[in-house]
Order: sequence, then structure tokens, then C-alpha cells
Amino acid sequence: MLNLRNIQAVTRKEFYHLIRDFRSLYLAFALPLLLILLFGYALSLDVDNVETVVVDYDNTDFSRDFIRHLDGSPYFHIAAHLPNTKAATDYLDEGRAILVIVIPVNWTRDIRSERVSPLQALLDGSDPSFANITRGYVNAFISQYNQKLLIQFLNRQGMEQIKPPVDGQIRVWFNEDLESRNFIVPGIIAVIIMIVGAMLTSLIIAREYENGTMETIKSLPLTAGEFLIGKAIPYFFVGLTDVLISILMGQVLFGVVMKSSFWLMIMASSIYLAVALALGLFISSVTKSQLLANQGAILLTYLPSLLLSNFVFPVINMPKVLQLVTYIVPATYFINILSGLYLRNLGLAHLWPSYLVMIVMFTVLAALNYVLLKREGL
Amino acid sequence: MSWLRIRELVRKEFILLFRDPRTRRVLITAPLVMLLLFGYVVNYDIKLIRVGLLDQSHTRESRMVVDAFSASKIFMITQILRDDRELEQSLLNAKVDMAIKIGPDLARKIRKGETAEIQIIADGTMSNMASIRIAYSVQIIDKINQDLLKELYPQRMDYGKIDGRIRTWYNSNLDSQHFFVPGIVAFVVMLITLLLTSIAVIKEKEMGTIEQLIVTPLKPTELILGKTIPYIIISLAQMVMVTIIAIFWFEIPLAGSIFLLFSATCLFLLSTLGVGLFISTVSKTQQQAMMTTFFFILPFFMLSGFVFPIVNMPVFVQWLTYLNPLRYMLIIIRGIFLKGVGIDVLWHQYAAMAILGVVVFTAAIRRFRKRLD
Repeated sequence: MLNLRNIQAVTRKEFYHLIRDFRSLYLAFALPLLLILLFGYALSLDVDNVETVVVDYDNTDFSRDFIRHLDGSPYFHIAAHLPNTKAATDYLDEGRAILVIVIPVNWTRDIRSERVSPLQALLDGSDPSFANITRGYVNAFISQYNQKLLIQFLNRQGMEQIKPPVDGQIRVWFNEDLESRNFIVPGIIAVIIMIVGAMLTSLIIAREYENGTMETIKSLPLTAGEFLIGKAIPYFFVGLTDVLISILMGQVLFGVVMKSSFWLMIMASSIYLAVALALGLFISSVTKSQLLANQGAILLTYLPSLLLSNFVFPVINMPKVLQLVTYIVPATYFINILSGLYLRNLGLAHLWPSYLVMIVMFTVLAALNYVLLKREGL
Repeated sequence: MSWLRIRELVRKEFILLFRDPRTRRVLITAPLVMLLLFGYVVNYDIKLIRVGLLDQSHTRESRMVVDAFSASKIFMITQILRDDRELEQSLLNAKVDMAIKIGPDLARKIRKGETAEIQIIADGTMSNMASIRIAYSVQIIDKINQDLLKELYPQRMDYGKIDGRIRTWYNSNLDSQHFFVPGIVAFVVMLITLLLTSIAVIKEKEMGTIEQLIVTPLKPTELILGKTIPYIIISLAQMVMVTIIAIFWFEIPLAGSIFLLFSATCLFLLSTLGVGLFISTVSKTQQQAMMTTFFFILPFFMLSGFVFPIVNMPVFVQWLTYLNPLRYMLIIIRGIFLKGVGIDVLWHQYAAMAILGVVVFTAAIRRFRKRLD
């Protein structure tokens, strides 16, 4: 049976501990601020204005026009015109450019005499994601340019007013301006909750063991359930405050607005936070050492919620085994809810399975915690 | 300075650290798990684009369009949609990455020589992935146009066109592992030294044994050396372990010199140990130290170019990254592993890291000494 006064007593003790250790508390609030600022302001996975250097051996009106078009596109930025390939590859070596375009001699002449004329592009592939996107841009740019040349050719052949037969009208849904921020800023809430919820709580039972106060607690008329709930409550409120800070900052500073219901968000955050707390407490009572608990929390909560949750790293690209692992990472479900609430404007009708899975996770973890402490003699 | 005293302190530190078999295991498994996670998870290669198709035309022309998409290995039509509502649902539920809608008048317009619209709706949730998918579909559309034009105007079609020959340097297969795995070497070293050094000192404080250390003939410099040397040894060992796995398991070619890599790690350690000592001077409890460590590690990690390209950051933040030792270390490691460049190209980075390291380390030592006195 849970005795409310006992819970209150444990909560008060843990709360004093939190208040007295002012800096941990202050960091628990500063961390979300830092992360939101970093992700919202500084970090982006989108590629535009790729630093490009050109070597134009041909130097005709046609080649200059090509380069002008390249520079005019939002995807490329011509950083320098260089006299030879050697100078350009030095740029690549020193990391001052990502892309080198080399226009060979007689390029224009070949095209004008209706031949296929090669254009050399050198791409720094060390960052594969960047390089992949850039390669796509270059290919798309060239094929559009070719289409223009084809239409010009047909018009020259006396067929006037030829239009391209099909026009691909590309629209983007859910994140209309293709800004990674619109998804990353809400997604970071999943990481923040894990850090605050699981990392902080992972220390609190271990601390009792390290200081030897666990024995005292065992001798008190306190049940395992009361102990766990009492310990978790202060951190629950810290975590929930962090969620509110994050929602507010995302909206005020970066205009990332929730499309769906605010209360669904609070509900999802509370469940997910409860999972995080239960996980943290579990790690804490298993390891019984603060250092180990902290390492365990980094490995079991922080890294998976960042890496294995479809947050910034697409699950679809992972090996099958890891794809299976993502199903037991709580953040996977929370991220799914976040993208539903923030971008897709979905309601409970679509999202209920994710809510349910998180509730089940919480129940299992809570039961494990209870059994573990019972066995310890609490 | 007495080497004997330092040696004894180092020995004590090792005994304390290894007494718990679980700590031993964590010291080995933590870098391994990180290596495997980062090695397999961080992957932006587009291998498959799931497409939902809504074909309201059902003509030879519309099949040409569909064939052009499915002929490319990357696009796979996973859902045939019947109406706009289904199209919306498939995108909402993230069943497809992209939907293609071909209107009923496609064939009529093409035959009349007009331009027919094909709607391509991309899921923009992960914007960087969406950008690649869009770029791919633009190419397919252009190919469809050329095929259709050839068919509509069946005369000689040898027109002058550009053949883009893109070659990729340094990581020619655009293998994500080649980019991310070497970086983990630096990250692991940083994580371990930052956390363990500060905890080693804090534990003495928490247990009250720091007073005992102060009354021993141990001088502050000896104390600092004794507290840092074990972690230098551990992180160098971890660096070697991670490098070996990178080379033999992930088969990442080490294009440059291993000696350069080793000396870079030593310079890098100066900064990280300095920060670790600094954290130990500003924290009272382990919890504080761990939170503070995290507060340092996050921006170090995020603002290093490890995952997020520095060129994408606002100029002000780009300036901030110059204060980040991990930034230099990553350029060096990637330069050595992927580009095979030598000290002639990398000396800026070495110099910057050395200066940063010396400044941070001396500042931390001074603060540490003051605390002891």
C-alpha cells in the first residue's frame, strides 16, 4: 500500500537535495536552453551554397554563361575562378571548397557541333551526406541545362515553340520550406527528457548506496513503491518544466509551431518522461555506483535516443539488426509522436499505438524497479 | 618533483579504478558500443525511395513515366493509390517518402504538344533526405522529357549536350562509415578523459581523502600528474583499440601516417585533461561533475563538424568553433585517414590545438593549485 505521507517525505528529502545542489538543478534547466539554441540556431543538415571553384579552360561566352547560371542557383556558390586544375585541387585538399568544376578546352565548340561534351566535376566525398546531396544537385543542374539545350536544338531545327512534354511540380509537405530546424527543434525534446530524466535519476539511488544511507532507508517503514515514487517526483517536475521551456523557446525564437494539440504533447511528454525516470532509477539500482550509472545512462539512454530513434539518423538506412533494436528504444515512439504533432498535424486517432507502447514500457520498467528493490530488502 | 611519489599515486589510481570489475568492462565496452553505433547508424546514403503512385491517366504515356521511375534502382513503388485521400494518408502515416500523382489529362496534353504536369509530393520531415530525393526525381523527370521529345520528334536527335562526369575524391564510394568512424576515435578519447579525470579528483573530495593527500609530502604538480597520467594511458590505449577496429573491422584505409595520428591525440589530450581538471575545481559532488561534463561535451560534439557541417553554421558560431579542440582533431583525423595528407597541410590544425591545449591546461593547473592551497 502506498502511504502518501511517506511519499511526501521522500520527495521532500530529494527536493532539498536538488535545491541544495544548486548547480545540478541550474544545469538541468540550462541544458535544454543550450540544446535548443544550438540546434535551432547553429546546426543544420541542409545543404545550400556549396562552396565551388571553377576552372574554365574554354573561356567562351557559352561557358561563362554556364558558370553564371551555376552561381545564380541557390545551391552553389562560386568561391573562386582558378587558372588550372592544380590550384583547384589544392582548394579541395585544404577543405576550402567542396566542389571543383573543370570546363575543358573546345567545350563550346563540341556542343555547338552537336556532340556530347564532357564536363568534369570533382567532389570532396569525405562527408558523404553532404557529397551525396551535392552530387544530386550537380546532376539535376546538368540535366536541366541539357533539357534547355535540347529545346534550343529542336527550335533551331525549325520546330518553333516546343515545350517540355512533362513538368514535374514538386511540392513538399509537412515541412514546406525544407528546413531541418522544423523537425530537429521539436525532436531535441526527446533527447533533453532523456538527459534530464534518466541521467539525473540514474545517480540518485546509486548515491544512497555509495554514501551508505541505503541501509538507513531499508530500516525505515517505507515500501519500495513509496521510495521510487518519492524519488521520481521532483525530477518529474524538473523534466516537465524543461519540456515547457523547450516548446516555448522553439516557438518564440525559431517559429517552430505545433500544428496539433498542446495537451496531446503534454500527455506524450509526461508518459515519455515517466519511462525515462523509470529507466534512470533502474540503472541506478542495478549499478549502485554513480560513475557506472552515469556511463550506463549515457550508453543506454542518451545515445540511443539520439542515434536509434529516427531523430536525425534515418532508421531505414540502418542494418536490419539495429532496425530491430530501434523498436525497444522509447525515443523512437516519442519522436514519432513529435513529428505527428509538430509537422503532420495528426491526432490520437493516428498516434495511439505509440502512446500505448510507451505506457507498456513504463509499466514493465516500473515493475522491474519494484521487484529489484524488493529483493534488496526494501 | 619525485617520480616515485607520482608512480605510487598512479598505481593507487589504477587499483581504485580497476578494483570494480564492472568499471573495467565499461572502459572496454563503452568505446566499442559507441564505435558500432556510430559506425552503423550514421548513414545518409539514399538506397531506397518509397513511392506511392496515383495514376489517374492509365495510358501508355503514364506508364512511360512510371517505368522511368521504377527503372531507376532507387525508386520503388510500394503503394498504388486510388485517390487523393489515400495519397494523403500514405504520406501522413509515413508509409511512403514521396507520392507521384499523374493527372487524367497527361496523354492528351503530351500529344497536343503542351506541357503536362506531374505532381510530386515529398515528405519534408527530414529535410536533408528530402533534398536528395527531390534532386533524384528532377533527374528522372528530365530523362522522361528527353525520351518523350525523341519520340515526338523522331528525326536526328544528336544535339550538343553536357555529360557531367562527377568524380568523388577521398571517399569515392561515399561511404558514411569512412567519414564517421575515424571521428569516433577523437570522441571516445574526449569523453573518457573529461569524465574520469574530474571524477577521480571529486571522489577524493567527497570521501574527504583529499585532505590526507594534501598533508602528504605530495606536491601539487605531482598530484596533478598522478591524477592525469592514468587517464592519459587509458585513453591512448582506447585510441589504439578504436583505431585497430576501425582499420580491421570497418576496413577503413589509413591513408596517412600513424605517428601523426598518435602525436595529434597527445596534443588533443592536453585540452581535454585541462577541461577535466577545470571541472573538478568547480564541482563539489559527482553529480555536479557529471552534469558539468555533459555541458562541455554537448557543444564540443555538436560544434565540431562531427555530424553537422561547420559551413552551415552562422558566421558567429563558426568563430566559436575555433575554441573547440575537437574541431581541429576531427580535421586532422579525417585528413590522415581519408585524404592521406601530411603535416604540410595539417600544421595549422596541430598548431591551433597545441596553443589551445597549453592555454587550457595551464589555466586549469593554476586554478587547481589555488584550490589546494
